[in-house]
Amino acid sequence: MASTPRAKTFKSPTKTPSNIYRKSYLSPSSTSHTPQTPETHTPLRRSARHVSRKIDLGNDPIDAPGNDPIEGMNLIRKRERAPRKPTTDVVPSKSKKTETPKKKKKIDSFTPVSPIRSETIKKTKKKKRVYYNKVEFDETEFEIGDDVYVKRREDSNSDEEEDPEIEDCQICFKSDTNIMIECDDCLGGFHLKCLKPPLKEVPEGDWICQFCEVKKSGQSQTLDLPKPPEGKKLARTMREKLLSGDLWAARIDKLWKEVDDGVYWIRARWYMIPEETVSGRQPHNLKRELYLTNDFADIEMECILRHCSVKCPKEFSKASNDGDDVFLCEYEYDVHWRSFKRLAELADGDSDSDQEWNGRKEEEVDDSDEEMELDDEVLKSKRGGLTSARGGANSRKGRFFGVEKVGMKLIPEHVRCHKQSELEKAKATLLLATRPKSLPCRSKEMEEITSFIKGSISDDQCLGRCMYIHGVPGTGKTISVLSVMKNLKAEVEEGSVSPYCFVEINGLKLASPENIYSVIYEALSGHRVGWKKALQCLNERFAEGKRIGKEDEKPCILLIDELDLLVTRNQSVLYNILDWPTKPNSKLVVLGIANTMDLPEKLLPRISSRMGIQRLCFGPYNHTQLQEIISTRLNGIDAFEKTAIEFASRKVAAISGDARRALEICRRAAEVADHRLNTNKSAKNQLVIMADVEAAIQEMFQAPHIQVMKSVSKLSKIFLTAMVHELYKTGMAETTFDRVATTVSSICLTNGEAFPGWDILLKIGCDLGECRIILCEPGEKHRLQKLQLNFPSDDVAFALKDNKDLPWLANYL
Amino acid sequence: MPTNAGTSLSSYKHIVAIGTTVKSESLESAAYEIPRKRKMRSDSAAVSGNSVSTPKKLKSHLPSSVPNPGMSEKEVVEDSNEILRYPVNLAVSDCLGTKSKWSPRDEEQMRAVKEALHVSKAPSTILCREDEQIRIFEFVKGCIDQQKAGSLYICGCPGTGKSLSMEKVVQQVGDWSTQAGLPPVDTLSVNCTSLSKTTDIFSKILGEIKPGKNANTNSSPLQHLQNLFSQKQESSSSRMMLIIADEMDYLITKDRGVLYDLFMLTTLPFSRCILIGVANAIDLADRFLPKLKSLNCKPMVITFRAYSKDQILRILQERLRVLSYVAFQPKALELCARKVAAASGDMRKALCVCRSALEILEIETRGSTGPESQGPTPDDSVVRMDHMAAALSKTFKSPVVETIQSLPQHQQIIICAAAKAFRGSKKDATVGELNKLYLEICKSWMISPAGITEFTNMCTVLNDQGILKVGQARRDKLKRVSLRVDESDITFALQEIRFFRNCLL
Repeated sequence: MASTPRAKTFKSPTKTPSNIYRKSYLSPSSTSHTPQTPETHTPLRRSARHVSRKIDLGNDPIDAPGNDPIEGMNLIRKRERAPRKPTTDVVPSKSKKTETPKKKKKIDSFTPVSPIRSETIKKTKKKKRVYYNKVEFDETEFEIGDDVYVKRREDSNSDEEEDPEIEDCQICFKSDTNIMIECDDCLGGFHLKCLKPPLKEVPEGDWICQFCEVKKSGQSQTLDLPKPPEGKKLARTMREKLLSGDLWAARIDKLWKEVDDGVYWIRARWYMIPEETVSGRQPHNLKRELYLTNDFADIEMECILRHCSVKCPKEFSKASNDGDDVFLCEYEYDVHWRSFKRLAELADGDSDSDQEWNGRKEEEVDDSDEEMELDDEVLKSKRGGLTSARGGANSRKGRFFGVEKVGMKLIPEHVRCHKQSELEKAKATLLLATRPKSLPCRSKEMEEITSFIKGSISDDQCLGRCMYIHGVPGTGKTISVLSVMKNLKAEVEEGSVSPYCFVEINGLKLASPENIYSVIYEALSGHRVGWKKALQCLNERFAEGKRIGKEDEKPCILLIDELDLLVTRNQSVLYNILDWPTKPNSKLVVLGIANTMDLPEKLLPRISSRMGIQRLCFGPYNHTQLQEIISTRLNGIDAFEKTAIEFASRKVAAISGDARRALEICRRAAEVADHRLNTNKSAKNQLVIMADVEAAIQEMFQAPHIQVMKSVSKLSKIFLTAMVHELYKTGMAETTFDRVATTVSSICLTNGEAFPGWDILLKIGCDLGECRIILCEPGEKHRLQKLQLNFPSDDVAFALKDNKDLPWLANYL
Repeated sequence: MPTNAGTSLSSYKHIVAIGTTVKSESLESAAYEIPRKRKMRSDSAAVSGNSVSTPKKLKSHLPSSVPNPGMSEKEVVEDSNEILRYPVNLAVSDCLGTKSKWSPRDEEQMRAVKEALHVSKAPSTILCREDEQIRIFEFVKGCIDQQKAGSLYICGCPGTGKSLSMEKVVQQVGDWSTQAGLPPVDTLSVNCTSLSKTTDIFSKILGEIKPGKNANTNSSPLQHLQNLFSQKQESSSSRMMLIIADEMDYLITKDRGVLYDLFMLTTLPFSRCILIGVANAIDLADRFLPKLKSLNCKPMVITFRAYSKDQILRILQERLRVLSYVAFQPKALELCARKVAAASGDMRKALCVCRSALEILEIETRGSTGPESQGPTPDDSVVRMDHMAAALSKTFKSPVVETIQSLPQHQQIIICAAAKAFRGSKKDATVGELNKLYLEICKSWMISPAGITEFTNMCTVLNDQGILKVGQARRDKLKRVSLRVDESDITFALQEIRFFRNCLL
């Protein structure tokens, strides 16, 4: 905060309403790297802006037309006045009624100590609340996921009266329509014409104002900014206040109305300025950089000033013309562990199943978008426990929020601008990455998992247990466990289940099996150590009951996907992990997932003895189940004929029972149908039919060798035909090159083809051998080399039969 | 029961029958089992012989007899006077006076039972291991009395109470040495799996002998220990040291150096180590340390045999005795003990089975609360035979038949082809050969076959399910395939499907 380089004590006499100014935001890009905070790798933001416009996230993504700026400004101003009303003490009558109690609430909900804002979460008793996704408050729409400015303290709004949208020039203290430029160092705005010497246009590259330049060059006498004329006070913009810590920014996480007194509340997820983090502002921090925290507070809607816009680096670099209220947020800051995590990484660094998992959250939010549903959701006083539960399971925690954030902003733009056809919708929903809204056909298994976990963690003692889940790929093992965990999480929030921490590990993602110790330890404590140290600490934690750090006595659920990859030579990793639950006070529940059914039997007996007898089998889906899965996904989308779905699911169920594959086939079929309908516009039926599914199945199940054989050269075809002929004649699978060559020459002779000669024939044989259409005896290439067809002769015959160039081939097949 | 895979067809039918009856007519099956047992109670040998659920074949696996049954009885009486160490026992003993009636709906009681049955709750007395415990204790006592080093090796199957007994012995030794007025014995218990490097055990021992003197860098911990034990010590530091190495076979390295050095420490002239190794293998010392024999320092071996059914029953009863209410029918416990003893004699498994039977009961009662509001008859509020039988069949039943029946059709065809191929003396074939057979079957039934890549995928899936065994080879086609389940199982499983009936006959 101390390094915020501006003094804000100027006064300005008038406030001119509209101006066009120009700023260019530049970042101090070449800075030294410090280890404490992650450095932002942001492209420079350097274009100018002609219209000063308030960022309104929800409403107008379309730029105001540049031809009539004044009118545009007025429009915008009209809209802008409204949200400020509550803050400017022109209190509307509605809020006046609740004036006195509110003051009190505000005071106790706003503790001045900023880093522990989470403590201000009100311990709400059983109260009726109505949750909304969107609320219009004082003529501004606030939606879940919006970023807003929040008043910090009652006493700090001494200069609250002016809330200038457009900041004044630092030299002439007027704000008008002239183009302004922003200094990259102090973020101050200057009219181009007020500068000495005046600039004609916004320069390319970094630009630093003369005052900062003098300061930087280290001259003894500093060039002070001109004092504002008497009676005028230089109004501070919201941005300045935020960056100097007099305001807070937050993201709306929940919106609700207390039914009792009708007051609107939000749950705010705070942003922090770099000065508030443990490492303070680092040289590489951008001026407009904020950190998203995992810190929440319930505050009244009254405290919201207006929208701001917090963007990820990619958007930030594009948002140069978006005005003053644009901020950058690249990292999440964990207030408990005081660690940073990159948001973008978290968003895309996950496996597909995780993304499916995260995707669901968004969808569900969207689902309930339209109507205000009346939820009797009661928040019990377990709140505190919940937040710490999040802190514990930090491997998931970061991802949840990270994706939520990025997704919330990205998805609407993509989806709303384009009206999707039914087929496109179907394609989108059949993507493997799309998370289904419900998981049909696995309710029994999910129930079993739920009762297992609940039975394990609900006791006070939390006896350690272990469950092994197995099943062939694509039968929904991981997704079932994760959705069970999600439901449990919701129950924790309701308070019916005591808090726990959940650690999810995929065996495939571990560099080595031993690394799992580090991963678990990091998830529990937030610190990263080597695996040997981690093993020691975990042994202390689970076997001897010592707690790591300030972590309280919570049960820990450990989900290990692809458990079989943890099998080392002496199997000590699995032994240790499965031995912990058998210790008193371990409070560890282990869920292992693998494909192999008899993994426990393959392990050492001492390990299978410790693994216990809890097994759960996910069998392959049968065709009715697959049908149900597909139709559930396509619920509400009329794109498939019923028979087509049935055909696909029967086909898959006969071979593997893999739901992923069934979905892939249907998606591909939709693509095929799309293509068919595009080429043949006259088709009246806009549905995916059996033939499309058949085509997709052909593509997927049919081995590629037939395609290859169909497309090989003419001579190769003759060569293959000769081999098949030879096979029919002799009945021997194996033949020599010598014999094949003789057959080829005789075939060529009878059908009037020129015999190519032995050299070329040998080369053709080698080429086919390299494609592995035929198998050649390894070693030298010579006449007596043994050859064999790699595929059944029927396949070859099928591929070569109806050939237009060489119709006579069929005679030999 | 792992051996089930090899048993005849009839045993399968039987197990399947149990599985189905339990759900549909649970009360009936209980009714018909209980009287039969009761009839035979007078002669326990007859029960194990005729018991429907224990196949006769398995009888040979039973440990022949309980060692010194009379003596252990005496011990129990003595030990029961011991102070209850564990809080759970204290808590339960508090409610002993109230004599509350057991009901599976009472969560508190349910929790207490579950806790009493949990693996991590060490019972206050270890039943059925008194003999071994005394032998270990005598050995340690002898070593301490004579101030000489010694080594002992304890072996036994998993879940036979080795580590638990060791904990007890350590405690006893501590008590004894304070009573006898001897200097306290340093004790180091190491689970060898938790060592990141095998040689770490020496630094741990050194750290125990000379705490805080780890700064010595010019010699390795092992050399340091060897020096320490080969020279005469000043009497002040000559306390005996008890080293317990659990899961000792994790110390086996390629050259067996670590294990050898460890045992050699006890042969050094001024060594004060009493080394006790614990592992599963019965012949670890013989196999890996033949040199020790020639040096005449072969460790004494104490074997923990698998629990017999009587022992398991006694332990279960002892664990449940601390509760004031009866949660299990005695017959149910006996069934569990018999089955587990026949399969492995693993106590952990027995406890798990009991718990899962308890959960079955819990689910049952929870389900029955809705429709009938009146209280249940006192009979069905305990874990009965049928619950236990369900839990046992969940645990020991080989799921091969159900697995095969639930497989996708093409995989069934592959199994069918494999069963046909390996009907004679042939034991394995390559994937290519199997593919040919598969194609033949497909052709004969006019089914369009899956391609070769798909075929190899299906083979891998079957391998994962433990039905086929696919070997390793460079090329997919040359991998050796063999059947891992009995042909009769396949025939039995596929008989249900008309499609396959002709094929296999």
